[in-house]
Amino acid sequence: MKIQVLFGTESGNAEMAAEDIAASVRDGGQEVEIHDLSDFSISELQHDPVYVFICSTYGEGDLPNTALPFFADLSIVGPDLSGMRYAIFGLGDTFYTETYSQGATKLDDKLRALGAERIGEFGRYDASTWEPVGEKAVEWFSGVLTELAVH
Amino acid sequence: MNSTVSIAIVGSGPAGCYTAQGLRKALPNAQITIYDRLASPFGLVRYGVAPDHQNTKSIQAQFARLFERENVRFAGNLEVGSDVSLKELRSLHNIVVLATGLSRDRALGICGEGLPEVYGAGRLTRLFNAHPLQTVGMPRLGESVAIIGGGNVSIDVLRLLAKQPADFANTDIDDAALAEYMQSPVRHIDFICRSSVANAPSDPVMLAELGRIPGVAFSCLDPFSVPDDASRIAGARAKAIETLLETRGGPDTRVEVSFHFGHAPIQILGDGHVCGVELAATGSQGATNVVVADSVVTAVGFDFDEDDWHGLGPIQANATTGQLGNGLYRTGWVKRGSRGTIAANRACAKSVTEEILRDLPTLDMSTKPGHAGIPWQALAHAVDYDAWKRLDIAESGAAAEGRTRKKFPSHERMVAIANNHLAGALGASEN
Repeated sequence: MKIQVLFGTESGNAEMAAEDIAASVRDGGQEVEIHDLSDFSISELQHDPVYVFICSTYGEGDLPNTALPFFADLSIVGPDLSGMRYAIFGLGDTFYTETYSQGATKLDDKLRALGAERIGEFGRYDASTWEPVGEKAVEWFSGVLTELAVH
Repeated sequence: MNSTVSIAIVGSGPAGCYTAQGLRKALPNAQITIYDRLASPFGLVRYGVAPDHQNTKSIQAQFARLFERENVRFAGNLEVGSDVSLKELRSLHNIVVLATGLSRDRALGICGEGLPEVYGAGRLTRLFNAHPLQTVGMPRLGESVAIIGGGNVSIDVLRLLAKQPADFANTDIDDAALAEYMQSPVRHIDFICRSSVANAPSDPVMLAELGRIPGVAFSCLDPFSVPDDASRIAGARAKAIETLLETRGGPDTRVEVSFHFGHAPIQILGDGHVCGVELAATGSQGATNVVVADSVVTAVGFDFDEDDWHGLGPIQANATTGQLGNGLYRTGWVKRGSRGTIAANRACAKSVTEEILRDLPTLDMSTKPGHAGIPWQALAHAVDYDAWKRLDIAESGAAAEGRTRKKFPSHERMVAIANNHLAGALGASEN
């Protein structure tokens, strides 16, 4: 089962978390690909069994700039994503009380509205905890894998 | 061809580190060295980002991977211009990328700027961050300070001056600088921003954060409103300021902050010493008003040196290209000017990396010695990444109660600890 890890990042931290998840999947002997959402077309969304989105928040609760074209394509084209399964992990900082992790929430809302099915818990990382983001992301994803095995 | 390409990046702040990331991905076999005049990596993240913004500084963990996993070499305590000339550096590497940032506080260009109590914001943030080359100490601010400039750096300065020692828990603020400042902390701060509330260059969350400092009262004499069709960020900024204004200071008020949005400084007043700032509402002719001040902190950005920089002549911001010559590039603030957050340097580094990759066929790709060709006298005192880790551990170990680390404010001492040349016990003396 190939896992597609897709990241949307402004500062590079979501990319780092995505790389750590990909490395842990590879170490577990599974096939994995990693892509920047800025280089990923929505037409490729139905080819693989599971997509893992790692997405930060920027500005006033927006998606990072690099993920905006992907998000806009989803909104404009409105593809039928029923049958697509995904997991999502949002990076944020509770220092930004009102907009905390809103970027990933917007992406999650959009994917579900288009019929995709979320697997596992919505992962959230809070930079105010000062915990290493990569470790937290890998920890979260092992929970998702358990959930996937059940399905 | 790429197996031998040798790359020098000058400056290990966000601009340099993001560029190293991009070049490493594109050229897995390239020999990449990041040179820095300091003994520590990470530049402005370590010495410009305010010490009470540790979340922002945590991006260091991302950049550290370059040196720990991505086979990028750190060469600290090597200054281009004194240890090695730019010309020499270019002869030793196929590609040189300047990512030096800008450190000179931009001038206001108004009368009175030369008065002794007018200080640049960079000096204050460097002092509170224990910058080892900031040798001039804590300025005398007096009772009232006027901060000129409305961006995030101005708000950093305001916040650092308004806080009490107890508000710096879990930071790496320089305690010596803080103690010096606390001998006579300011009581009144005038915050002067040329732009209206709607168009101000600050992040709303930076303003909102000011409301969490105990003992500060805010006022704004001029009524402000934000048009209904203003951007979301303008609305959020107005809301943040309104919330601050509702925080009426009680008997515990230590510091009063007066906001002056939409006002430009006309001149700094004073005969030999600062006594105030004359302001005019932006766009209006005639009527001016005066705020009384004992000192002025300017925070209107950072500027290029006017001098002939390493034989390149005076350089200006360039939005379109990072190329300065064959195999010579620039990125970050030294390319675009002092605008944007840390993350903006990632996009900038991407565009410069693409430019370099496009130019590769036209560059001199003969085998170059790279870092190994640096004069031995300079290499002998250079600080590599392992040496920096020694210093890093020493800093963490020396942290006082309630501090994340103790930065040593002396360059020589940093180098000595890093390179294990310290005579006497570690931490035996303060500097």
